[in-house]
Formats: sequence, structure tokens, C-alpha cells
Amino acid sequence: MRLLYRILAFIIAVEVAIQAAVMVWAVAGLYVWVDGGGVLDSAVLQSEEAPPFDEALGFMLHGMNGMMVIPALALILLIVSFFAKVRGGIVRALVLLVLIVLQVFLGLWGHEAAILGLFHGLNAFLIYGGALMAGIRARKPASEPVTGNATQ
Amino acid sequence: MRLSRRAKILAAVAATVAVLGPVAWFWHSSLLPDAYSVTDMGYHDRGGGPDHDASTAPQAVDALTVPDGLEADVRVTLTAERREFTLASGRRVDGYTLNGSSPGPEIRAEHGQLIEVRLLNESVPDGVTLHWHGVDVPGAMDGAAGVTQDAVGPGGEFVYRFFADQVGTFWYHSHQVSHEQVRGGLLGPLVITPASGPPADVDAVALVHHYDGRRTVNGREGVDRVAAAPGDTVRVRIVNTDFEVMRVWVDGARFRVAAVDGTGLHEPAEVEDVTVMVAAGGRNDLEFTVPARGPVRVNLGATAALLVGDGTTAASERPQEVLDLLHYGSPRGIGFDPGAPDREFAFGIGRRPGFLDGRPGVWWTVNGGLFPDVPMFTVAYGDIVRMRITNDSGESHPMHLHGHHAVVLSRDGVAATGSPWWIDSLEVGDGETYEIAFEADNPGIWMDHCHNLPHAAEGLVAHLVYEGITEPFLIGGDAHNHPE
Repeated sequence: MRLLYRILAFIIAVEVAIQAAVMVWAVAGLYVWVDGGGVLDSAVLQSEEAPPFDEALGFMLHGMNGMMVIPALALILLIVSFFAKVRGGIVRALVLLVLIVLQVFLGLWGHEAAILGLFHGLNAFLIYGGALMAGIRARKPASEPVTGNATQ
Repeated sequence: MRLSRRAKILAAVAATVAVLGPVAWFWHSSLLPDAYSVTDMGYHDRGGGPDHDASTAPQAVDALTVPDGLEADVRVTLTAERREFTLASGRRVDGYTLNGSSPGPEIRAEHGQLIEVRLLNESVPDGVTLHWHGVDVPGAMDGAAGVTQDAVGPGGEFVYRFFADQVGTFWYHSHQVSHEQVRGGLLGPLVITPASGPPADVDAVALVHHYDGRRTVNGREGVDRVAAAPGDTVRVRIVNTDFEVMRVWVDGARFRVAAVDGTGLHEPAEVEDVTVMVAAGGRNDLEFTVPARGPVRVNLGATAALLVGDGTTAASERPQEVLDLLHYGSPRGIGFDPGAPDREFAFGIGRRPGFLDGRPGVWWTVNGGLFPDVPMFTVAYGDIVRMRITNDSGESHPMHLHGHHAVVLSRDGVAATGSPWWIDSLEVGDGETYEIAFEADNPGIWMDHCHNLPHAAEGLVAHLVYEGITEPFLIGGDAHNHPE
């Protein structure tokens, strides 16, 4: 279970990196498309099932990954933490879940108030760092004392 | 005190159940059956009106038709195909056609005529219907799959018959898997002129649609052109078939907004240097006179335009000022008193995380509930209805009520002072509140949904149902009806 906890934590960290990468990829694709004469307005943004440039796939991946895959991973990590003997493991998993839920809302609210996009970007680092730390800290097993007052 | 190993495992299992239990319960309760009636979903909202009077005999929605014996004045056959086609610009599009083209043929009729359209499904695997967007047709003719008819499967056909009772600009489109079929081009324009003929020397449709992310006018990328001589009066019928509001402005002439959503405005003033907002699914008719020099350019968003007259001209910068229809034109009677309604409804649009038919996500809500936990607005024939639409969802929503035209009473508490502003498609921006009113004068079961059609597929859909009208059709089921 501890190994599973570590793997899940590291996958979440990798997922955050993927989120950043696909977003920049999509924005870069958008710039190239606009440079080539494409004109962006809200009606174009809505044609997500048939986007005018390939890199728009990045926007879609970012949304699906961020709103479904990563929250699901965080939920599984929390459940695994109940069984894995990782000291502080439950708290870290819980904090990660809260940060990820916050991240989803910052992302959505950013469509109304762009300033929240700044916090969305910063919060990503918290999730990345938190997930990485949760994985690293779970390397050693929580000491399971045989007697009552073991030093830890 | 230390917990035994066994107690620890039990605690972990209990914690897991505590976390997963509610999630599983929400997931399970969101699952929709394979087939269900729209009248069985959600809850009845009577808007303060009386309970159902059971003394009247129930009538099925598919019985609400134009009498069979009447001879049609305008007959059209439309054949739907799922296939690749070529735009005028040469771009290949994988989508849908009617009679071999997209947009489909323009249907024109005169006021009072009986229109008969025979729809054949040649090769659309999901099935197809035709909805007469903005025409308040009889209940059985509305073309909403699973609500007013079964989707027409490949090889099948359906005949639509309705009177051209309203003069104005409309459009037709499939209302089966509509977020895909409308996007793919299964649509076309419908124009009903006065019996005395078109109201201007030049009468042109500008139907705007995005194919593969490219904006087109009447199927042409970029600019379409209409011939007109200096001094001609021109009516441009703008149809926004896309999923987002469209900003329109005019270069080269002063203009009036003569009609909105197929209803003429009263004493509209001439304006210039203003932007007109055309709601998704909405129509605006602009009128102007071609000047002695140069063409008139009707800019349809940033990338498309209709050029009227000879020569060319580049687009100007879009004017910052927006024409506010709340205060445009001059008032006149609307035919009923919205101050004494029989029913008052709230249509509150929000957004929250949850499950939609088992799929996790952040979905639209109606009055706080996720689909199908949404209101069924219930009215009786003849009721005066007020509806308050609020949007706190973070995005704009073009709300479309089938079968009726409603008049806008106020926006954000500011009363309408201009011409009666009748709508069937109303763009409700984030944070806005609109009050509208209408007369329940068209019995049936009517969709009331967001015309950003992917939003409807994401649960932003409710229904207006008349007392005594029953639903013989099913969502899902053997016909695989999926109106959104």
C-alpha cells in the first residue's frame, strides 16, 4: 500500500507537469494559427469538437485531465492513505485533494476574473510540490512500535 | 493506547466508506434509465398556479397538428445526408447536408400560407428531425426528438405541416443529437414575408455558421455579396446559427434594426457606429438604403461580412457602443397584462461539480439541481406567465423557449422602455437577470434550453408542459432519441 501511495503521489506530480505542458503547447499553437491569419472569437472557441488548429487538443486535454483524472487520482490517494502505513500520509493526501478541488474552481472562475488565472498557476506549484513531497516522505515506513513508548 | 492491527484496518475501511459512500451514492442517483419520458423527470413547478384540473380529457402531444385535409401552399422535400461536402471556398467539411448542401435550401413562404416539408433521412445514422426555430408551430410539429416525435432513422421520413402565421426570419435545424448535427451543418434559413411581398427592394439572408472553426456567410468563407443599386432599400436577415453571441456592425450606411427573432420592432430609430448583438440562435433584420457611392458592409463578427452593392470596402473597427434593445424603438401594447400573471417561474442557471448520468464534471444547474433534477414548468392554456431568468454560472447562455415568443420586461431590475422586445432566443450574460413574460397560447410540451447546444447536452435544459397534454415519446428508447 505504501508503494501504491508513493506511485500515486508521483503520478499526480507528473500530471501537474503534463497540465502545464499541454497548456503552453495549445497557447503556442493558437499564436501560430493567429499569425497565419486565423481570427479568434468566442464562436471559434466553442468549436472545440472541430478546432481550427491541432494544438487546440491541448485545451481539451487540460480540461479533461484537470477536472476528472487528477481529482480522481487525489481521491484514490486519500483512500490508499487510510491503509498505507505512511506517517502524515492521510493529512498530505487530504491537503492535496483540497488544493486540487480549489484548482478546478480557480480554473473555472478564471473565465470570469482573469486574475484568478495567476493563482491557478501558483497553486499548480503547491500541488506539484505537495505531491512530490508526499511521495518522497512516504519512502520510509511509519515505525510500528511493538511496545508502547517507542521513540519516533 | 494503541489500536490493534485489526481495529486499524476497520478504521481504514470505515474512512473509505465515509469518503466513497457519498460519491457512489451521488454517482448512482445520477444514472439515467435507458428510456424515460421528459414528463417523468425532475419535478413539476406550477409557478403558483392551481393544481391540474382533471376534468379535461388528456391529449397526446403528437395529436396537435394542422388538419389533414388542407392543401399546402408551399411544399418542400429535404433529404438529409451524413457526408463530406465542399464549401464555396473549396474547403472540405465532414458533416451533414440537406438536398446535397449545407446550409440547406432557403424556404420562403408568404404570411398565411400552409407550409409542408417532407423530411427524408438518406444516411444520418443517429436519426434526424427538423425544428422550426422561432416559428410557434403546433405541438406535434416542433421536431424535438423524444419530446414531440421520434427521430427519423435512415430510410425513414416525417412530414411537417404548419401555417406561416408569423412574418419574419427563422431557421430550421435538426433537434436530434443537435449539438453535433447543428455544428455539422444540418440547418437552413426560413423566411416568411408579408402577403404583399418582401418589405424592401432587396431582401437577403445572411446565415452565419462555423464549419471546422471557420466562419461562413451563406456557406461562403469570409465575404458574401448581394447585388443592389444606389437608392435601393435593403433588408438583411441575419441568422446566428452558432453557439455564441455574434457582434454585428455596419459600414457605409445608417441602419435600423427592423426585427428581432421574427418580430418587427416598433418605430426603430436609425443608428450608426453601434454594435448589434445577435444571440446564438437569434435573428436580427437590419434595414438600410444603399448610398450613392460605395457598398454597404455588414460585418458579421470579426471574420465575415455581407457586402451589399458594387465595389469593396474593408471592415472598420468594431464600435464600442452596443445597441441596447431594452431602450430601442418606442413602446406599444403587447396584448396582455404581464403585471397580473397566472404563473411566475424562476429559471436560475448555475454551475457545480457532480455527476451527469454517471459522468463526473462541473455541470450546469437549473434552480440548483443537476439534470434531470430540474423543473417542469407547468401551465394551463391561456395563462399569463412571467419568468425570471438569472445567470450565476460564469458563462453566457442563449436561452431558447420553443413554441412561444416572450417579451422582455426588464434586465437587472431596469424596465424595458423601448419597442416591445419579443424573443425566442435571449442571450443572458453571466451575472444578468432578465424578466420575461408570455402567453401560454400554444399547447404542447416544449423544450426550454440553452442554445449553446453543448451546454444543453451538459444538462442545461428544462421543459414547459401544458396541463392535459401527455407524452407518448421517450428519450432514448428504440428510436434512440437524444434531442440535445
